[in-house]
Amino acid sequence: MKAHLRDIILIAAILLIGGIIALVLLLTRKTGAFVEVRVDGKTVASYPLSEDAEYDIAGVNGGVNHLIIRGGEAWVESASCPDGLCVNMGHIRHAGASVICLPNKVIVEIVAPDSGGVDVVVGQ
Amino acid sequence: MQKASKRAFIRKVKRITALFAALAFVFAAMSCAHQNDRSAQATREVFAMDTYMNVACYGKNAEKAADAAVSEIKRIDALLSITSESGSIRNLNEKGSSNVGAETAGIIERALDIHNKTGGAFDITVLPLMELWGFTSGEYRVPEESELKAALDGIGSEKLSVSGDEVSLGGALGIDLGGIAKGYTSDRLIELFKEKGLTSACVSLGGNVQCLGTRSDGGAWRCGIVHPFHKDSGVYLGVIAVIDKAVITSGAYERNFTDENGVRYHHIIDPKTGYPAETGLASVTIVSESGILADALSTACYIMGLDGASAYWRNSAEQFDMILMTNDGRVYITDGIADSFTSDFEVRIINR
Repeated sequence: MKAHLRDIILIAAILLIGGIIALVLLLTRKTGAFVEVRVDGKTVASYPLSEDAEYDIAGVNGGVNHLIIRGGEAWVESASCPDGLCVNMGHIRHAGASVICLPNKVIVEIVAPDSGGVDVVVGQ
Repeated sequence: MQKASKRAFIRKVKRITALFAALAFVFAAMSCAHQNDRSAQATREVFAMDTYMNVACYGKNAEKAADAAVSEIKRIDALLSITSESGSIRNLNEKGSSNVGAETAGIIERALDIHNKTGGAFDITVLPLMELWGFTSGEYRVPEESELKAALDGIGSEKLSVSGDEVSLGGALGIDLGGIAKGYTSDRLIELFKEKGLTSACVSLGGNVQCLGTRSDGGAWRCGIVHPFHKDSGVYLGVIAVIDKAVITSGAYERNFTDENGVRYHHIIDPKTGYPAETGLASVTIVSESGILADALSTACYIMGLDGASAYWRNSAEQFDMILMTNDGRVYITDGIADSFTSDFEVRIINR
């Protein structure tokens, strides 16, 4: 009778440990794509594409690009740069797509764990 | 009885603990091996030549090679930029003739050679036309026909002459090496990587790709080519697998503007007419061992159109291959690389 109870405790303990491991794996797993922000070649931030948010990116020479992530898309809403090309580049949502601001040296790129099996993209 | 079952219980716990420990070890070893693979990689991002560039080096010396690549990119940018005060081009364009140094003279001679071979389609003297259309300043406009006609008198690489390091513009108004500067740079970077003993590297200079050797895992580099009509959508025109090759695309989609009547004008100007080349092509991708040739030919073949480019390829197929897309969505590939290309679209093969 007592041995039976211990078996149950053992099974429950294994299930509990298994559950905790599964939970940890699930929480740390990189499921969706990320919005990676790089300034002058250095990665300064990485945000999940699935979470709506707004950020001000500090570019070089005091430049600022206002980044919005909403509804699975990312875009630069406004910027301090003179040409405003980054704002006109529109919304991005697929892995590999990027918004580039040359004056502020800011790159906003969608990165995904699996980007379609391609090493490098040709063309702009 | 109780003691025996307690012993059995402890044995069970030990066995299961050992199992978990073994599993944990395997996972740790796997993730460790994965990390080792990546740590051999050195990447750099550079803003130069009005675009942004990626450098990725693999294996021993990767860090040193990547640093050297960044310095080399900046050096060539300063040398060839039309606005650089310390460079060789600005001075030449202001004075009409000057000693540009051996390196620049060599690049200009190469440009003249490609100009001749492509029947004038590739031309480094189209700078005044680019200025009239506003592609140099970003202030786009459609020039008057009279303006273009007047400018065309000052266009034509045949006016240029090179003697040693001395270059004279002749009657040309100015030169811009922007059409081959990136191809020249990626050639230089690959040479530099070889000097450093690298066997695996890949650079993308604003979408101009050149690869050294294979990937670090021994596979060919998989280059996804941007689809002209599905830019930024993650849809590729196709994927070309290459080893030791430059892959360079020219397309109307890269830089263009639309006037008040809804007409689109792009940046690939035909040096004979002064207008954007409208040959029915949406993009041209050149695959070659030479970056400078691939860069120049992507522009030249775009201007020549499907038939002209195919005829040109048949005469010099040992030097390059190409992938063309027409405005109506047809994909053409030369047979030298057809086996290395995969695409979701129907592909037609150009034979010799």
